[in-house]
Parts: sequence; C-alpha cells; structure tokens
Amino acid sequence: MLAREVLLGITGKDFVIIAASKATMRGPTIIKAEDDKTRQLNQHTLMAFSGEAGDTVQFAEYIQANVSLYTMRNDSELSPSAVSSFVRGELARSLRSRSPYTVNLLLGGVDPVTQEPSLYWIDYLASLAPVPYAAHGYAQYYCLSLLDKHHNPNISLDEGMKLLEMCTDELKRRLPIDYKGVLVKVISKDGVKVMDFDNDRVVRSA
Amino acid sequence: MDKLVSQYSRSAHQNEFYSEQEQQELSESLPPLSLKFSMPPVDNSASFLRAMTDDHSNPSCPIKLAHGTTTLAFRFQGGIIVCTDSRATAGNWIASQTVKKVIPVSRLSRGEDKPSKDPTPGLLGTMAGGAADCQYWLRYLSQQCTLHEIRHKRRITVAAASKILANLTYAYKGYGLSMGTMLAGVTPQEGPALYYIDSDGTRLPGNLFCVGSGQTFAYGVLDANYKYELTEQEALDLGRRAILAAMHRDAYSGGFINLYHVKEEGWVHHGFDDMNPIFWKTKLDRGEFSNVTSEL
Amino acid sequence: MASLLDHSARGETVGYSFSQAAAAPVKQHGFYPYTDNGGSTLGITGSDFAILAGDTRSTSGYNINSRMVPKVFKIGGDAETGEGAHIILSVVGFAADGNALKERLDSIVKMYRYQHGKRMSVSACAQRLSTILYQKRFFPYYVTAILAGLDEEGKGALYSYDPVGSYEREQCRAAGAAASLIMPFLDNQVNFKNQYIPGSGEGHALEAKKPEPLPQDHVKQLVRDAFTSAVERHIEVGDNLQMLIATKDGIQEVFHPLKKD
Repeated sequence: MLAREVLLGITGKDFVIIAASKATMRGPTIIKAEDDKTRQLNQHTLMAFSGEAGDTVQFAEYIQANVSLYTMRNDSELSPSAVSSFVRGELARSLRSRSPYTVNLLLGGVDPVTQEPSLYWIDYLASLAPVPYAAHGYAQYYCLSLLDKHHNPNISLDEGMKLLEMCTDELKRRLPIDYKGVLVKVISKDGVKVMDFDNDRVVRSA
Repeated sequence: MDKLVSQYSRSAHQNEFYSEQEQQELSESLPPLSLKFSMPPVDNSASFLRAMTDDHSNPSCPIKLAHGTTTLAFRFQGGIIVCTDSRATAGNWIASQTVKKVIPVSRLSRGEDKPSKDPTPGLLGTMAGGAADCQYWLRYLSQQCTLHEIRHKRRITVAAASKILANLTYAYKGYGLSMGTMLAGVTPQEGPALYYIDSDGTRLPGNLFCVGSGQTFAYGVLDANYKYELTEQEALDLGRRAILAAMHRDAYSGGFINLYHVKEEGWVHHGFDDMNPIFWKTKLDRGEFSNVTSEL
Repeated sequence: MASLLDHSARGETVGYSFSQAAAAPVKQHGFYPYTDNGGSTLGITGSDFAILAGDTRSTSGYNINSRMVPKVFKIGGDAETGEGAHIILSVVGFAADGNALKERLDSIVKMYRYQHGKRMSVSACAQRLSTILYQKRFFPYYVTAILAGLDEEGKGALYSYDPVGSYEREQCRAAGAAASLIMPFLDNQVNFKNQYIPGSGEGHALEAKKPEPLPQDHVKQLVRDAFTSAVERHIEVGDNLQMLIATKDGIQEVFHPLKKD
C-alpha cells in the first residue's frame, strides 16, 4: 500500500517537525489543495495521517477524542510514548475487526516531564517503531537515505527546517506527483506551532 | 484443409535429428554473438518467458534469473563517476555478493579488468536488471565498438555506441529483455558523455542517473550534494556515499562498493570495497545513520 | 519434444476448426516443457586444482527415478571414456536440458580443437558457454551450470552461471536444490566470511581472516562434509557423491556413497 501522500517527521534536540502534503487526491483529481492531514492529540503530541479516504480523519478524531477524554478523567496528560501505545493498540484492535482502519501515521511529541522529543512511525498493520526520522508513502524512498546522511539527534530547529527543505527539494525534483506542497508543524515543550514554509521555490534538477 | 494436409503430409521423423544447418551452427567455432535466438514453440513467446522467469508477477516461477541493483553515474568537471553495488538476487536468495556490475566496453583484447593504476581507454557500461542481458549485450556492443575502431581508425563516440545499444533494445522490445544501463565515456568529440539506455528502448543523455531497485535512495543522497564543480575527491566520496545509502535502505542492494572514474585518458578503478567497514566508519566517525545503534 | 507438443496443440484446433472460425488463435494451455530433477552441485578451486562435485540422485517430484545419474561431465575428451578432457562442467536443474547443454559444449570444444589444433582455454570455454546459454534467452535451458578447469597460469578456475548465461569467476559455488544449505557453509569455510583473527581487536577493530587457497585434501573433505550435511536436510539430495578433480595431470573421478533414504 503506497500512498501518494507525503508524510515526513524529523526529531531534533528539543523538537519534532511534522510535515504533511496539502493535496487531497481522489482518482486523477486533486479535490483540495490546502488540506491539513494532522490532528493535535494534546498539548504536546501531534499525529499526521495518510491512507484510505474517510478512515484517516475518522480514526484521527477518534484518537483525539479518546486522548482528551483520558486527560479529563484523570486530570493528567498522556506522554507521547503512552499515546503511541494507545494508538497502536486501537489500530491493532481495528485490524482484527470486520472493517479495519487503513491509515498510516506519524506521531510526534515532546515529553512534558523529561522534555525529550520523540517520533513514532505507525503503519496500517499496527507496526510501531520509535525512530529519529520517518516518512510514509513514496517519500520514504527518496528521503530516508538523505536523512540517514544528514540527520543527527542534536540538530537545532533551524537545521531541522533546512533538512526538511532538502527532503521537499528532492521530492520536487524526482517525485512525478504534484502534492501541492507541505504543511509544516513543530512540536516543542511550548506546544504545537505552524511553521512558515516556502513551497513555491523552484528547484532545478541536475 | 490445406493446413490439415500439410500438417500430416510431412515425413514422420522429419524433425528428429539436427538439420544440416543446425549441425553447422553446432560446430561453428567462432562464438556467434549473433542475433539468432531459439524461440519456444508457442504463439506468445513473451508471455511464456514471463511465466517461466518473471518472479515479480509469478513468485513460483521455475527459472530464477539474477536481478536487483543500485548503480549510479554522474558527470562533473573532472569527468564521470560510475559506482555500483555488487549484489545479485534471485527472489529472496542472494545469488552473489561479488558481481562486477561495471563492464568495460572497449576493444575486446584490452577490455579485461586487470588491476592497474593507469587509465584504460574505452567506455564503461553499467549493469542493472537481468545480469545475462547486460553482460551479453554490452559484450555485443564491445564487438561493435571494436569493429568501428578497425573500420574508422578512431574510437567510437558515446553517442554512437549508446545508439547501437538503444536500437538493439528497441528491436527486441516486447521480447522480455530486462536491462537498465548507463554508458559513460570521454571522447575528443564530446568531452565527458553519459547516456542512459534501457530495455524499453529509451536512450537519454544526461548529467546524473541512478538505476535499479535502490535508485531512489541513491538519488536522495546524490541530488542534495551534487554540483558540476565537484572536485575529484568530493565526487568519488559522493558516489560511494550514495551507493552506501542505497545498500543500507534497499534489501536488494549490498555487498561491495565498486567505484570507477572515467577521465579523458580512460577509466580508472577506485576499488571494490566491502560495505560493512565503510558503513561503520561512516556512522561512528561522521555521526550519520542515527537510526542505527552501535550497541544493543 | 517441441514438434511433439506442437502436434497435440494443433490437433485440438483442427478438431474445432470445422465448427469455429478458422482464424481463432491457437490457445496454448500451459505449455510447460520443464521439470526439476533435483540434486545439487558444488565447485571449489585451489592454487593448482579445481573440484566439481554433485550427487547422483535423479528425482521428479517426490519420486526417485534413479540413484546413479551423474551431473558432472568431462568436456572435450573422448566420447566414451572422457579421456584427454581438461574442462569439467556440472549441470543441475532439468536433466534433459543439462544433457543437451553438455553435448553442445562438448562438440564445440572438440571442434575448436580440430579447427585450431590446440586446446580451448577455460576462459574461452567459459565465455562460449555463456553465449550458448544466451542463445536460448527466450526459451531458456532450465539449468544452473558451473564450469571448472585450470587457467593459463595453471591455477584452479571456476565459473558459475545463471540459466541464461550471466557468469562470474569465483573461488567456490554451490548450485541446485541444496544451494541455500551449502553456500553459507562454503562462504564460511572457503572464503572465511565472518571469521576473525582471535585477539586482533575488540568490536569493530576485529580483523577479518583473509581467504587463501586451500590444499586439495582439505577441499575434498569440505566437499564431502557439505554433501553429507545436505543429504541430512534435503530430500532431493543423496545416493552417491561424484567428484571430478582437474589438475595438471588430467581429470580424476571419485565416487563416495551417500545415504540412500
């Protein structure tokens, strides 16, 4: 199952960057070019999703609601790792039901206690892996090797945005799909913030 | 009705022995890099071949051919870098870790890959897709290049050589060949020249190509740092690093890093090195591959 | 084979041709001219010899057809005794294709000798075998071949092939049914893969053991070990081990019994 959507995640010293493509595609048509494929689960966790139309938002908002329900009941925030386990569990349960959710996820968060950033890669078969950087869909094939080379866990936010730019540049160069640019959000100890990102810069090919 | 008659009117044992022509072919001593191939007695030979050999569409096919690769080549101010992995796979089985995927295309007499510091004149071809297809047709190309040299008293241009190969693959389009190859060479007429040719009949000149199952991973690394003004050492390092990236992420690529530099005087071999120590050196000295932990 | 199948296929159309449009295409129902006769082969070279070995069992499916069908052949020697041959060939896969391939290469090596008045070098023979296999690129020989002999310097030479003729010179190679069982053993014992010099360092500093040519007796024992082990774990391997050893003195043939179950 390879989506035409682009999901990217990069962790750094004290933040996680999540980027998701803005195009919503149905068959040969882009039906929306300013879509937000992310949901904020609590103060400091953000989840990006791609996959089967309908499933994606339904699942994300179901998770969102249950995470806030937990917070209301117990008056305490779930850590990113706790959220990731919950999400994986829900996805695994759904996988064994009559109609499973077909969604791929990236979950980024900063632990409110330790202030450690973390990123989780989750696919529609409910595999979960904590990783320093991640991608879903065709973007994996171009960006992971690039991140293998240029990423290190101590990068600053500026360096992280530069890295993301390298990734989107490569996608612009090589991916034969117009995904209408990416929406970029950053999770830090202060919460989730939308970043300015220049999607219109022209990238020249070698 | 005529068909029926002709069907039964030939002698019963007509096809039992080798015909005179077949006997001639059998005993011919010159290796015929000819274009005569025996075909299966079916209407659609391509679908027969696919059923027998294509493990992508038919994982239980009986004949597993060697496949899978990452190869790259790029032009820069100092010539052309050509770099490949060395793994051959047949399904999930690693058939070999020591394949030479860079094939010299030059006069057959001096095409042998002898260890030498001096540049060897001639072109380089790369091998992706069917190993036998690439080996055979690049050898056929060497033969044609040798003939060109003898006839015209000068070396063939890369443009001409690549056209011979592209015309060939186009003639066999639909037969089931599988090859993605790059031809690199420096000639007085063209300077450094690089062409991509594949079994669909595509032929493209260009600055930078990656071919094979690991191509995207190599592109990722290469595109980010590529510029024409690279120094020789930078270019060699970048080529090696891009193949390493593909070996790390693509299961069908691995083994040894085979690195070549094509210059005006000819090509120079820069090693056939085990990827494992290079990977750990890259990780531990430069802090790359942060997704891998060095301790468990 | 081809003409036989051709007949039956056409025969079917002929029957229908009166009731149906004559132009109806001949539908090929599962043309499958291959079978796998099992077995395994293996080759190892040393500084002045090359060994090719194979078991002698011939199977089809779960049936054992014969316990004595050799897979390793002398090439370019006397038709009856194989005397005077200097090249050895092993073929595993579809025995009929293997036999056809052997006959073809044998006659070519002989014709070379008659026409040029000298023996064909192993490297030339290796290239020629590649083109023979490739001539049937679109209707392949269902075989994995290994060719061995001594090179121009008298060193052991071994070339391994895929069914359509891609080839490579190697130190050792296992092919056939038990290739996946034998090849890792060979990697470790012949090329010393994953072997390190004890005490040469810690962790990544550990120095890898360098491969070097092995003596003939040692190699023979490796071959026997490889096959006795393969017999234990693969149903298509067994009965007898045939070994051909090429040295400067010619080709020596040895048989060893293997388990018969």
